[in-house]
Parts: sequence; structure tokens; C-alpha cells
Amino acid sequence: MLTSFDLLLIGLSLVIFGAGLLKLKAAWSQGRPARRPGDLKGLVLYLLGQREILENRVAGLAHLALFWGVCFYLALAILAQFGPVIPPGLARLVSLISDLLGVALLAGLIFFALRRLGDREAAAPRGVLLPVAVLLIVVLSGFWAEGARLNLAPEGASWHAPAGWFFALLSPASPLFMQIMVRIHFFAVLLLLALVPFTFLRHLVTSSLNVYYRRQEPAGVIEPVDWQQPVIGADQRRDFNWKQLLDAEACVSCGRCEQSCPANISGKPLSPRKVMRALHENLRGGGGMEQSVSQDELWACTTCMACLEKCPVFVEPLDKLVDMRRYQVLDRGRLPSEAREMMRDLELYADTYGRGPAHREDWALGLEVPHISNLPGEAEVLLWVGCSGAFHPQYQQVARSMAHILNAAGVNFGILGKEEACCGDAARRLGDEERFETLAKKNIAALDKYGVKTLVCLCPHCYNTLRNEYPALGGHYQILSAVEFALRLIAKKRIYPKYPLAGRLTIHDPCYLGRGNGIYQPLRDLVGSLPGASLVELEQSRENGFCCGGGGGRMWLHEKLGENINNLRAAQVAHSGVQTVATACPFCLTMLEDGINSLETERPAKVRDLIEIVAMSLGRAH
Amino acid sequence: MRIVVCLKQIAHTYARSGRDPDSNYLEPEDKVLRINPCDEFALALALEAKEYLPGGAEVSLLTLGPILAQIELVRCLALGADWLFQVDAQGYLDPWQKSSLLARSVQKIEADLVLCGRESLDSANGQTGALLAHHLNMPFVSGVRKIDFGTEGPFAVVRRAAGRGTRQVLRCPLPAVFSVEAGNTIPAPPSYDQKRNLGSPPIQKLVLDAAGVAPRYVQEAQYPPRPRVKPLTPPDNCLDSYGRVSELLSGSSMEKKGRMLTGDPETQVEGIITFLQESGVLEPEKEGELDG
Repeated sequence: MLTSFDLLLIGLSLVIFGAGLLKLKAAWSQGRPARRPGDLKGLVLYLLGQREILENRVAGLAHLALFWGVCFYLALAILAQFGPVIPPGLARLVSLISDLLGVALLAGLIFFALRRLGDREAAAPRGVLLPVAVLLIVVLSGFWAEGARLNLAPEGASWHAPAGWFFALLSPASPLFMQIMVRIHFFAVLLLLALVPFTFLRHLVTSSLNVYYRRQEPAGVIEPVDWQQPVIGADQRRDFNWKQLLDAEACVSCGRCEQSCPANISGKPLSPRKVMRALHENLRGGGGMEQSVSQDELWACTTCMACLEKCPVFVEPLDKLVDMRRYQVLDRGRLPSEAREMMRDLELYADTYGRGPAHREDWALGLEVPHISNLPGEAEVLLWVGCSGAFHPQYQQVARSMAHILNAAGVNFGILGKEEACCGDAARRLGDEERFETLAKKNIAALDKYGVKTLVCLCPHCYNTLRNEYPALGGHYQILSAVEFALRLIAKKRIYPKYPLAGRLTIHDPCYLGRGNGIYQPLRDLVGSLPGASLVELEQSRENGFCCGGGGGRMWLHEKLGENINNLRAAQVAHSGVQTVATACPFCLTMLEDGINSLETERPAKVRDLIEIVAMSLGRAH
Repeated sequence: MRIVVCLKQIAHTYARSGRDPDSNYLEPEDKVLRINPCDEFALALALEAKEYLPGGAEVSLLTLGPILAQIELVRCLALGADWLFQVDAQGYLDPWQKSSLLARSVQKIEADLVLCGRESLDSANGQTGALLAHHLNMPFVSGVRKIDFGTEGPFAVVRRAAGRGTRQVLRCPLPAVFSVEAGNTIPAPPSYDQKRNLGSPPIQKLVLDAAGVAPRYVQEAQYPPRPRVKPLTPPDNCLDSYGRVSELLSGSSMEKKGRMLTGDPETQVEGIITFLQESGVLEPEKEGELDG
């Protein structure tokens, strides 16, 4: 049993462990305050199943083996101190399980060691090899001790210790050898414990905490700026909030974000992993993020949320990038020159096209689209047209199609017309929070003036902003996307799509419907409810959907570096061999069409909005 | 150095969405209140000078008449201007009267350099700068794009747009009046910090007597723009009635002659070259010439 020297050593390693943890906590406590409720149930479920980590099958299984192996042995070692009396049958079972788990643990360790050996990448996880080596020593010494014990034991090796039997062949039958192995095992375990806060193993604590404090609202929702702060946006580490800094501590640099980032795939310098790594280094070094994240990286993000979707420990590079953009725009006054015209248009005309509120109803000329104030009785819904629906020539057709669907279903609907302003999505994601707040408050005032309760949004960006970001500014409405509403109309048999669709069709998931708000199935259901639909899924669809390249204000910025993102997506579409690509976003529509046209294929696929397709199926061709 | 930037506040009418002929089909939201775009570029040049001049510069904004676009004026101040002067004036003034009022204000401020926009978005006279220079008896350069300042002696080296893409560099002694051409890149917006640090901007009123200056001309009438006429060629007599009606509906036969080039820029360029070669503008590439 434990001697007092052993107890001293245990105490020492616990003190080092505790002091390291306090130091870690001090690092992320430098941030600004933020309110994040914890989610204990979520954390327990996460740790039990590790579904997010298992998305990478091999590494996930290795991780699971390590996690369960270590947990099991730890529990066993602690229980053993109380000297419980176990019936021999159960003891043999426990012995077999521990043996097999030990083998799995060993295999997982060797996998991780091989994966990191020779990995010279700058953003690769650091401080991995030392804890892996110590853990290897722990496992091997444990097995050897077990082997030596079996050699000495009267009954010898048996079926319930197969790995022990194997190691028994490699070890002498000497009590001294066994004692040495037990001591090595014990010291290595204590060393491992002391190493946790100082090496890669800190993720045991920080990543678990990050899962505990994970975001409860939909992904990609940007938090409002605290205008009282001396610095608006974030550059130094103290400009971020503590959860953002905890994110940097929790990131293990696994690189899954990087592998799914459209900016990274298309050859731009941005990598979410590098951004997190830079913030992590900033926590220790100091200085501004401006030095470690270049302007090209900062403005390359399309805010597609693929990194948020892929991160196994819910690290969010997106809100850091937006905060850094805010710093550039609001604090330094450095809006990229290409976006200035759009931002000035928003300032003067309150729309991204610079056409002005006077022209906002032009798309509805000659249609039965009343203003919300001219409705007989209470409005069922308000159609939120958005800048693209109101001004973009192609998307005006979609707005007209939506009006046609609503009229065909006999929905008592209206529009805000000239009183509608841009929802502010582009301004917010380009860092101009002031412009966003001005626009949002204007819209909320107009919506409240007419007592609007339910809105149907054509554009996913408007949908996301109105649904998830207006409540923080006092705008509480029920928001539906046009796709959901059309599906509801069909389900309630208020409209009857009758004309069959021709050819095969695929769906390009808009990021702000899909990853942003989890609307994947309604798009498929809507297509399924149309006669003659033959749906082909793209290789990258749903959660894995590839961005069109137009989000996060990228619609207005030039794509100077690497390949064009929309061309990459267009190539995937062309590869699938469909005749029509259905999407539900004005940016996707424009970007994909440009991409597909630039491919110059024999029969290019037509890009259409789902609403347009439904209207065509109802019997109205434009 | 003291730089004065003349800012014209305009109610820019960008649409005509009303239904009432009495109000000229104008609705309140058909206008935006803003600073004349050329003047904004003038301000950007002044602020650039303020930043790069070794001794710095004091930038004063000068506006004429009642304050219409307060938000925009404050925005200009936030960009880094030091003072805002408002010249008291009422009613319609012709360019002669305006420039004379501005000239007296500039004399009061004792400016070394006066910048203004090349022309305004609402009246497009393009006279104010030149007449201002006349009143002040200073040299005048129009269409300025960039200003550099000489290190020895008071002069400026200006780059101006001389029309049709020609760029001219002039050396001009100071004090002078420059009218600034709108550039391609919109000046950067003010940062939130600049706005926050501004506090409440003081508007300094300059009261000058406008009655002493008589207008040189009087506006008789002003008409809103006419709708553009779409040219229609008479239908081709050789066609049958169906053909003539469809030709009328499609606009005209002329419209169909163009060929739309699709594809990526490279193939589009190839298309243009082939077209030019086919129509004899370019000599076709001879086979074998490259090999030889």
C-alpha cells in the first residue's frame, strides 16, 4: 500500500496540477466579462459518446480508447485503495476488460504518436509527444508489471489476461523486476498528472470547460458590441471576452476547421486554426492580433460557419474574426476600399444596392402586393423582401414568385415597402456594428409601428439576422424562411404544385439556413412535394455544404488570392451532372451562376431559387 | 497651414416615385441629404495633407446657407476636420453671390489653400471654385486628383485630370483655390473612435451681408428631367404582319445585331479578337509566322 513518501509525491503532483490550472484560468480570465450559462448534462453526454470527435472515424476511435482506458484505470486504481472484496467471477471479468482496454489504449497511443512524429506543420498541435511518451511508459510499465506478476503468481497466465500473458513471456519472473515496473508506473502517472496544465493535455480541462460553456443559441450569431468599452472590437487579448480566450485554450489544433474552410481550400491565407493558434500565442506573448493575422486573412472569411460545424470542442473562430474586423473598421477606420461604396450606400440609402427607399417597391409594380397598412383585417404574415429581392434583377423574379405563391394560397400578406431597410447583415459581418444597429433599430421601429408578429424572409441572411440577432436589440418576432412557409402552404393544401419539374435537380444548402439555423430537411421536403422531382445530393451537402463564397460581406469584396470559391462549388455541381441547382439565397444564386458560366460546360446547369421552382410548378412562368 | 474645404449640402433627388403632379411627382423619401460627392473627395485630400504635412494643417469646413445635412456635416468633422463655419445666407443665390460670400469668409479665416468640389450633384454649375479664385485673386486649378506640397517655399504640386485620361502635373504657388475631381475610391469612413471623441461639434456662424452683391443672372425656370425616349425604327416593309408586330415588340431589329460573349475573361478576349479580325480591324495572325 501507499507509503508516506508516496503520499508526499501524490500531494506534490496535485499541487503542481492545481497551480498549473490556476495559471491557465488566469490566462483566460484576462478577457472581458460575458454571460455564458453552463450545460452540465450536455458535457456528460458529450464525454460519454464523443460523437463530435468520432466524426473523424480513426482518430475518434483512438481518442475514445484513450479516454475510456484512462478513465477505467483511474477508477480502478482509486477503488483498489479501499480494498473491496470482489467475487472471483467479477474480478476475472474486470481483469479481462481492463486488459482489452489496455490494448486499445496502447494502440490509440501508438496511432497518435505516429501521427505527430514528423509533423512539422506550423499550426500543428504542440506539446503532444511528451505526454504521449509518458502515457506510453505508463501503459507499458503497467503491462510489464502485470506480466511479471503473472509469472510469479501460482495460477500463471489465464484467459482473463491475454495481454498480460503476452507480456509475461517478455518479462523475467523476478519480484524485483515487478517492483521496478510498479514504481515506474506510479511515477509516470504522477508525472502525467503534473504535466496536464503545461502540455497538450490541458485540453482535458479546457476543452471540457469549453463544451460545458458552449453556445446555446444557433451557430454564427454575433454578439452586440459594448459601446462603453475603451476599444471597440478586439485586438489585444483583453479586448476579447473570457469565453473567446477559453476557446483559444481549448483549441487542440486538430485542423478539422481548416480542412473544411472554403477560404483555405480555395488557396487564401486564412485558416481558422491559425487564427486560434495566434490568439493562443497572444495569450502568452502579448501584442496585438493585427500583427499575427494579416488583412488578407481577416477579410477572406465568408462566415460560412463550416469551422463551427466541424470543431469537435465547439471552438468558434468566427466571432473572433468578426471582432477583429470590428476593431479594424470601428477603431481604426480601415474598411476595405471595395466595401466602402456599399457601406456608403447603406448610410445614405439604407440598402446594399444604393438604389434608395423610393425604389424599394418597384419589383412589385403591377402585382397584388399591398403595403402592410393597406390590408383588410390583420396581416397573416409580412413578406420581408430584403435588398436583393427588391433590387437585384434576378432575385426580383424570386420576390415576384413569392408574391404569386402567397396570392395563390390566399395569404393575407403585406410588405413594409419604402419603410423596409437593409437588415444589416453585411454591415455587421464587415465589422460596421454602428451601421448595423442603426439599420436594425430603424427596422424594429417600423415593424413595431405596424404591430407585425410573423415575418417571412426571402433571404437567409435577413432570416438569420432578424431571427437570431434582432432580439438582442428588442425586436421579437416569429420569423419564417420562405422555404418553410411555402412547405407549410403545401402541407396545408393551400397551394397545389401541379406542373412536373424537368430533369434532375440538386440542392445547394445556403450556409445561413443550414449551418446557421439547421434548416436542411425543409428544402428537401419542398422539392419532394413537387411533382416529378428527382433529387440528387451533392457530394458536400447539408452540414458539409460548401459555401458559395458570397457571405460575410465577401459579395462586395474582390477575390484576389487563390481560386474563386464559387468556381470550386460550380465544379462540384457540374460533376454531379444535374440540370438544375436549387438554392434559397440571393448570394448563392449569383455566385453559383457566375461560377457555372465560367466553367463553360456544354449544357450548364440552371441555378434557380426554390421559391421560383415552386411558383413554376404552380403554373406561372416568368 | 490653413486649409478651407467648401462643402455643399445638397438634397439629392434620386427618384421620382410620387403620384402627385403638383409636387413634381416627388415624395419625401425621393431625396437624400448629403454632402456633394466631389466635396467629400476635396475633404479627403485636405485630411491627407493634414496627416502628411510635417507641420500639420488646420482643416476648416465652410458651408453656405442653413444646416440641412447635420449628420453628414458631423461625419465630415469626425473624419478629422478642426472647424466648421456656416455662412449665413437665405434663398436662392447665383454662383457669383455664393462665391463672393465664400471669398469673404475665406478671407476671414485667412486660409492658405481653398479646396472645393469640381461641380455639384444638384446644379452642376462648376463655377463656384473659379469665381472664388477670382474674388480672392488667387490661382485656380480645376480637376485636381492629388496634392503634394513643396518643402521649400509655399507651393503645391498638383496632379489633375486633363480630360480623356490625360493627367497633368502642375506647380502652383500658394495660396490657391483648387477644385477637386471625384476619385475612384470612396474615402474611408470615420471610425467610431473619431465620432466618439468629437463630442458636440461647435458650428461657428459667419454673418456676412449678402445684400451688397447683386446676382449676375437670374434663374427663370427649372424643369425636371424628361423620361428618356426609346428610339424605335419603323418596321421592315418586307416582313409580313406577324414579323412586323414581333419586331416592334422586341424593340427594333438593330438590337439583335449584338453578340453576347460568354465564358471566362480569356475566352471573352478571344471572342473580341476574332470579331475584330473578322471585321477587318485587326490583321489575322498568319500561320507559321510564330514558328519562323
